Amino acid sequence: MVEGYTGNIIQRHSDGRREGEYDAVDVDFVLLPDPTFALLLSELKDLGGRIWNKEKVFVTIDHFAPPSTIERANIAKAVISFAKAEELPHQSTYQGICHQLLIEGPWLRPGMLVLGADSHTTTAGALGCLATGMGSTDILYTLMTGKTWLKPPGTVRIDLKGKLLPYLMGKDIILDLLGRFGEGGFLYQALEFNDNDGALPMDDRFAVCNMVVEGGAKNGLFIPDKVTRKYLENRDGQSGDWGECFDEKPLYLNRMEVDISTLHPKVALPHSPARVVDADEIKGESIQQVFIGSCTGGRLRDLEMTARLLRKKKIASGMRLLISPASQKIYREAIEKGFLQTILEAGGVILNPSCGLCGGIDKGILGAGESCLSTSNRNFQGRMGDPSSSIYLASPATAAASSLAGRIIDPREVMS
Amino acid sequence: MTLPGKISGRVWKLGDHVNTDALHPSVFFSLDEKRVREGVIEGMGRLGANFITESSHEKLVIVAGQNFGCGSSRETSVRGLRNFGVKAIVAASFARIFFRSLTNLGVPTFECREIQNRARDGELIDILTKEGFIELPNARRFPFSPLDPHVKKILEAGGLIPYLQRERKGEKDGI
Repeated sequence: MVEGYTGNIIQRHSDGRREGEYDAVDVDFVLLPDPTFALLLSELKDLGGRIWNKEKVFVTIDHFAPPSTIERANIAKAVISFAKAEELPHQSTYQGICHQLLIEGPWLRPGMLVLGADSHTTTAGALGCLATGMGSTDILYTLMTGKTWLKPPGTVRIDLKGKLLPYLMGKDIILDLLGRFGEGGFLYQALEFNDNDGALPMDDRFAVCNMVVEGGAKNGLFIPDKVTRKYLENRDGQSGDWGECFDEKPLYLNRMEVDISTLHPKVALPHSPARVVDADEIKGESIQQVFIGSCTGGRLRDLEMTARLLRKKKIASGMRLLISPASQKIYREAIEKGFLQTILEAGGVILNPSCGLCGGIDKGILGAGESCLSTSNRNFQGRMGDPSSSIYLASPATAAASSLAGRIIDPREVMS
Repeated sequence: MTLPGKISGRVWKLGDHVNTDALHPSVFFSLDEKRVREGVIEGMGRLGANFITESSHEKLVIVAGQNFGCGSSRETSVRGLRNFGVKAIVAASFARIFFRSLTNLGVPTFECREIQNRARDGELIDILTKEGFIELPNARRFPFSPLDPHVKKILEAGGLIPYLQRERKGEKDGI
């Protein structure tokens, strides 16, 4: 049985082979970030080193950007050398986080089947793609063959109702779902969001799809609509061909409705993205650091919201506010629009785009017992530093408001 | 490594929603096997596995709860566990990327809901892959969910890359 648009996409990409519950499908595009690509390089070379279609892969140096140790420098160097030797047409060094660059580039359109060697590849589902993350060996198979084996997932249709209030963001919507359904609440499933009223800006949709993986989902997908069309027109000058995947209305065995206008700003408590409470319930919790950035919360709307909250104010004494735009393009736009000037004047520190902070790779590492409120996607124990440190997750609005207070607060406390 | 009829080892018991950052902290990401192994040992320390020592050469079988291996796709966690001597993993359910990576690297996984509360850390466990059950001491037996035929084929080949090589050979031979 074909469920959801995800099922349609799988069916239309199938090469006709089926084994057990798995279909062999043709892959449209592959994302290759530095560490996980490095992990498969030697095997790829052993197997002849030939990528099935160089036009369909995108290599990024974003995790080790720039590298902070000799070993990481050598890993990045190996990736850069390979991309150069193979003359891969799509590659980027230090230009941003892979998931942001993937959707800024001219490659993806609704109905495509996209894989990435990183779990947050789900982000691209906001453009109506089936986008999912895999480990290096799976990606190696795809690089050799242009194919992968997928088990068509059960699909949950989520209809969003109501307006998004000024203090709410996509992050609150996904944290609410994770809080209600748990870390494994959507295991192996596809989440398909219908935002018929166009309540969510594209940046918020990216944040939602980014974090579906924290509920165990295979992918998240926003049913393409006028918001999608406008995004693609702005990006490519035209919205392009969406294929036939959205022609037929699909079947759903599970449906739910979320009235986004009744939500409260949410915070995920240490050490699980699904331990979610209203910001109001945890207010007053002391934090030493606020991080606004990552592939979840470092987009232009996130920085705009941050600047709006910080305008003509100063962050709390002793507070460390770290900002990392998700890409150089966002960085430039945030400068042009004056967001970064405002953030700097409030006391924020701007870092270059990279996966460094969120993944505990470099910069902003937490010491023993320290707490950080982060707009990223994971707050597992020790992810950003010492095993005894704590990470809270929230929207950029809640994070910026909390940086002013020096403790966690509901953003409504400082929003007029 | 292909799928043996019987897989034996000592139980390393873990809980629900164990994530890959805990199993293998990201600072131990490396292309150097020794460094990856250090990450496994660090993860074991954080998650608690008291009976396993650094110099251990024992065969291990992880017995865990729901959503095992959630989080990052970094395959170093799976490679590290495999190289440390983890022969199989039994869990109530697996996070999908982790499940795929284990299968792709030839580490069999078995879904069984009943066993987590019954297995004790450090005791011997046998998985009878053909018979379809797992055995703990004192003849305590628990059936596991049948393996998907595609997953089984990958495991029998010894992982996804040997499977690919078989696929290619099949094409060449016109099978």
